[in-house]
Amino acid sequence: MTEKIQTGHVMHSSHIRKDKSQIVINIITYILVTIFCIMCIMPFWMIVASSFATEDSVRRSGFTLWPTEVSTYSYELLFRSPDQMIGAYIVTICLTLAGTLVGLFIIAMTGYALQRKDFPLRNGIMFYIYFTSLFSAGLVPFYLLIVQYLNLRDSYFAILLPLLMSPWLIVLMKNFVKAIPHEITESGKIDGAGDFRIFYSLILPNLKPALATIGLFLALSYWNEWYYSSLFLTTKVEYRPLQYHLYNVINKVASLKNSVAGSNVVITDLPGETLKMATAVVATGPIILLYPFVQKYFVAGLTVGAVKG
Amino acid sequence: MMREPAICENKDRNRFQTRQGMTHRIERKGVSGLQNTAQQKVVNYRKPSVGRTLVQNRTLIFMCLPAILFFFVFSYLPMPGAYIAFTNFQYNKGIFASPFVGLKNFQFLFSSGQLGLLLKNTVLYNLAFIILGNILQLAFAIMLNEVASKGYKKTAQSIMFLPYFISDVLVSLLVYNLINYDFGFISHLVRNLGGEMPKVYQNAGAWPFIIVLVHLWKSTGYGTVVYFAAITGMDSSMMEAAQIDGANAWQRIRYITLPTLKPTVIILFLFAIGGILKGNFGLFYNLVGNNSMLFKTTDIIETYVYRSMMNSFNFSQSSAVGLFQSVVGFFIVLGANAFVKHLDPDYALF
Amino acid sequence: MKKLLAVFLTLAMLLSIMPAVAESAIDTSEHVKIVYLVTGDKPTNRTDEVLAKINELLTEKINAELEFRWIEWTDWQTQYNLALATQSGDIDLIGTATDWLDAWPNSQKGAFMPLSEDMLKTYAPMTWESVSEAHWNLCKYNGEIYLIPEDNYAQWTNHGFMYRGDWAKEAGLENGVHSWEDLGKYFAWVKENKPDVVPWDANGNGSSYSPQMAGGWQTSHTGNIAIEGFPVAIFYGESKENPYTLSRYYLEGDELVNFAKEMKAWADAGYWRADVLNYTGDVVAEMEEGKTGAHQHHTQTWTTERTTMERKQPGSDLGFFWFGEEAGNLISLNITHGAMAIAAQSKNPERALMVYDLMRNDPEIYHLMQYGFEGDMYTVDENGLFSRPDGFEDSTDGVSFNFWWGRNDNLEYKNAQLDWDAITKLYDVYNQVKIDYPYGQYIYDNSMVGPMMDSLSNVYNTYMPRIVFGMNDDPEALVAEFRQALQDAGIEMVMAEIQSQMDAVYAK
Repeated sequence: MTEKIQTGHVMHSSHIRKDKSQIVINIITYILVTIFCIMCIMPFWMIVASSFATEDSVRRSGFTLWPTEVSTYSYELLFRSPDQMIGAYIVTICLTLAGTLVGLFIIAMTGYALQRKDFPLRNGIMFYIYFTSLFSAGLVPFYLLIVQYLNLRDSYFAILLPLLMSPWLIVLMKNFVKAIPHEITESGKIDGAGDFRIFYSLILPNLKPALATIGLFLALSYWNEWYYSSLFLTTKVEYRPLQYHLYNVINKVASLKNSVAGSNVVITDLPGETLKMATAVVATGPIILLYPFVQKYFVAGLTVGAVKG
Repeated sequence: MMREPAICENKDRNRFQTRQGMTHRIERKGVSGLQNTAQQKVVNYRKPSVGRTLVQNRTLIFMCLPAILFFFVFSYLPMPGAYIAFTNFQYNKGIFASPFVGLKNFQFLFSSGQLGLLLKNTVLYNLAFIILGNILQLAFAIMLNEVASKGYKKTAQSIMFLPYFISDVLVSLLVYNLINYDFGFISHLVRNLGGEMPKVYQNAGAWPFIIVLVHLWKSTGYGTVVYFAAITGMDSSMMEAAQIDGANAWQRIRYITLPTLKPTVIILFLFAIGGILKGNFGLFYNLVGNNSMLFKTTDIIETYVYRSMMNSFNFSQSSAVGLFQSVVGFFIVLGANAFVKHLDPDYALF
Repeated sequence: MKKLLAVFLTLAMLLSIMPAVAESAIDTSEHVKIVYLVTGDKPTNRTDEVLAKINELLTEKINAELEFRWIEWTDWQTQYNLALATQSGDIDLIGTATDWLDAWPNSQKGAFMPLSEDMLKTYAPMTWESVSEAHWNLCKYNGEIYLIPEDNYAQWTNHGFMYRGDWAKEAGLENGVHSWEDLGKYFAWVKENKPDVVPWDANGNGSSYSPQMAGGWQTSHTGNIAIEGFPVAIFYGESKENPYTLSRYYLEGDELVNFAKEMKAWADAGYWRADVLNYTGDVVAEMEEGKTGAHQHHTQTWTTERTTMERKQPGSDLGFFWFGEEAGNLISLNITHGAMAIAAQSKNPERALMVYDLMRNDPEIYHLMQYGFEGDMYTVDENGLFSRPDGFEDSTDGVSFNFWWGRNDNLEYKNAQLDWDAITKLYDVYNQVKIDYPYGQYIYDNSMVGPMMDSLSNVYNTYMPRIVFGMNDDPEALVAEFRQALQDAGIEMVMAEIQSQMDAVYAK
């Protein structure tokens, strides 16, 4: 490839003379966004604060911005068997990394192929993929597929595989790739490159924001997943993914309190509100750091001018 | 972006040619090239055979193969199992040998007399979520893009994302702590200011607002990311040109940013509309619970089904409901997509 | 003579071998794993240790071993039914119950294996002997036995209200609370004299209070008796004397209106919070802290809670007002409230039955399973009461088999910590007034009126919480609306269908 595509930056508006409209927009933005941010962070702050409060103080005065009585009991409870917690974290991190990398690559590849106007099969394949987001056979057939036909019960692949991609992500990716000028593909073809080579060497490097976005969404779906874990990973599996592990901690008592079964079981260590808070903090933990990390990939793409020249 | 004339689609793809030959071919696409091919179109253009198409596009097809395989295994293979919605599922006979009961499993939805209300609520809420949600996300993305301070941008984006991580159970707990009549945070505030706190949990009219607000709060951060990515991927030279030409901020947004985001907005809308009959069970069930005073304005298909089948677990029936929601959504999307395609095929979903 | 003796001896030897030969007709040469499906979270205590010991014994005796398949509490209803629906020989023993685990609907759907008399006699002889024929008849569907009942275990799970005896005395109720009227007085006193306390801080979110409260008033003020097995709790029999006629309590009559009115009065008086229907707090914890004065649950819970309350709120003297007390209206627990079934696709049903037989009847295995290692995890005193060593914590030191499907009073040790005086006193009262559950032979068939039953379920769950917690302006109007909604949902047709099903079984 002889030509290098220049990547430009979105010019900061401050470079050009600031006109009144810009200032107005800035003011409006700052006000609205800040209000919204306060609305977002306050509840979260309350949750963190409450997780460090004693159960009594929460019951008495509800959720406050600062715990009136401090206690780390809920966290102690959660980490009582630390190897369980650590194991859960490791499993989840591995699943997230592996799934995101593999899934992202496949999604990007597919998204590129499907937006190529010279690809006659694209509408058919798109429909084939999209159709699955509308119709699903339901729980029992899917369960039978995974457990009986694919024999994946108690295997981490039962979590990894079904989450690799989704129609929404593929459609989204296709949309992002469309924004890349077709000239790039053309020039690649002129140089005699095959479609995959074009994709890999020319398109991917310019897809940073898209890859970051879709990668983020994919990672989040792995991180938050508990449903497949509850279906396919029985107690034979030593370390289950984080969200499911935490759900268990809370639901154990919630279910027992309401059902007849509760008559038979001795309930100790009643988790209360503070435990729910601590669980939320622990569950979210590392993934919050992912978004800022991903943000730096939101850089502007190429400028068409460079290609045409 | 140039659009290739359709006639040339397949003719250009001859990879067995040498580099020179290929270049040569494209060069010919000057004036005479087009004329040539136009003439040839009349004479000898015919649609290539299936085999030819497959071979010519094989790399692109291979690139789609993992996805095709994935959906075949995880979505299409189990699909015949949807038959379960039409049977009285007997565990010892399996899905296909169970007795066929036709539409009986759908009956409970239709004979309840509630279906109208449920559909209305489900659809209206989803429309509010989609439309208001997208407007808000768009607005935030554009606004934040205009702002100069990188630090502010990044911090704001991260903070806006936080509510997404809070589970529906916790959200309902937070809401309860805010507005419950006896001990709520807002109740205390109102009383301290001398006012009278309304009994929000007994007032059905307040809840559409509350639920929509909560949903927007929870999902805006997540949705904005898509638009951010679209904006940053935008061609910056047009922006620069516009600024040099003296366009002010509003004009830039209106004539450049928005049109660039148009395809994204439409695609997201089309996609969302297929699920217009599917409600967010977790959100509604946790916020409302079994407080029937609020059902008139907050009952959606999923919560109704849950309440009806709470003590009589039935796989066939739940499958039937899902099928119903899917079928209706499917026809709606077909219609919407056809409509969009009619206006501009570029924006259609398929 | 010698010859005769020889013949005689030989014959005697042969005869003595014979029974042994017949006994070992059961072939246990193959070592088999029996998978036991049970609800509960994976235990973090010493269960695995105890299981290893039990498996040693099982291998010795019948060359089998037990393996758990836990259905954890997260989303347990879906998981449990899914496990039954998609079984393929991967489970053998299934713990089930007619009241909360849908034993009969699952039998009808073919989840369980029919157990012939011969099978039971051969492979679970001790159990076969201990369950009477009358009881076996209550475990049949279409003439086949599907469930092995837990019928030799004293358990009371009838609902009522726990209340503080000390506060009741101060309120002027010398003998405690023994009627709804007393309860009202109790709440009024608490509201008046304990300003920081919500008399009954009910967590109304979730619908479990509706059938208990509504049914509680109903059984206290009429002779109606509850029929199990329906998705909606509005089907009651008329009375002890006339149990096989359906009661029309929910369709007509004043008593339901009285209930609605009383509950509204209580709501207005502030006996529970204004937004009770969305409140998800922990009533038991509050009661233990002295922040609330009552908890609505059943006898079994009360037996353990009484001890806990004495420890946390000394002198509280937790009493129990049982629903139906005023009318002496009490039914004993259905014998299939806990039952063991064999999976329809099980590959080793014979061995599974043998394992169950030992679990239920073999003292060594039973005690290991229920209590753990003797001496190490518990000690038994001369009265047959067991105590745990100091510092014993069930979540780390105990054993959890969740074996609620065949507990055996012959082998049970009573917990020394419980207040057996108070408990026995209550059980005596129960035993005097109770009648046996009269509907054991009736299994509801949903096929004719399924959709209508779902509508009824929806109507009930829409109106009843509001009636129970007095969330309305005009209770009489609300009840009328409720009754009309029931009519619109087709209750007359459903009742006619159920009545005819019951007549088919009981009308002689």
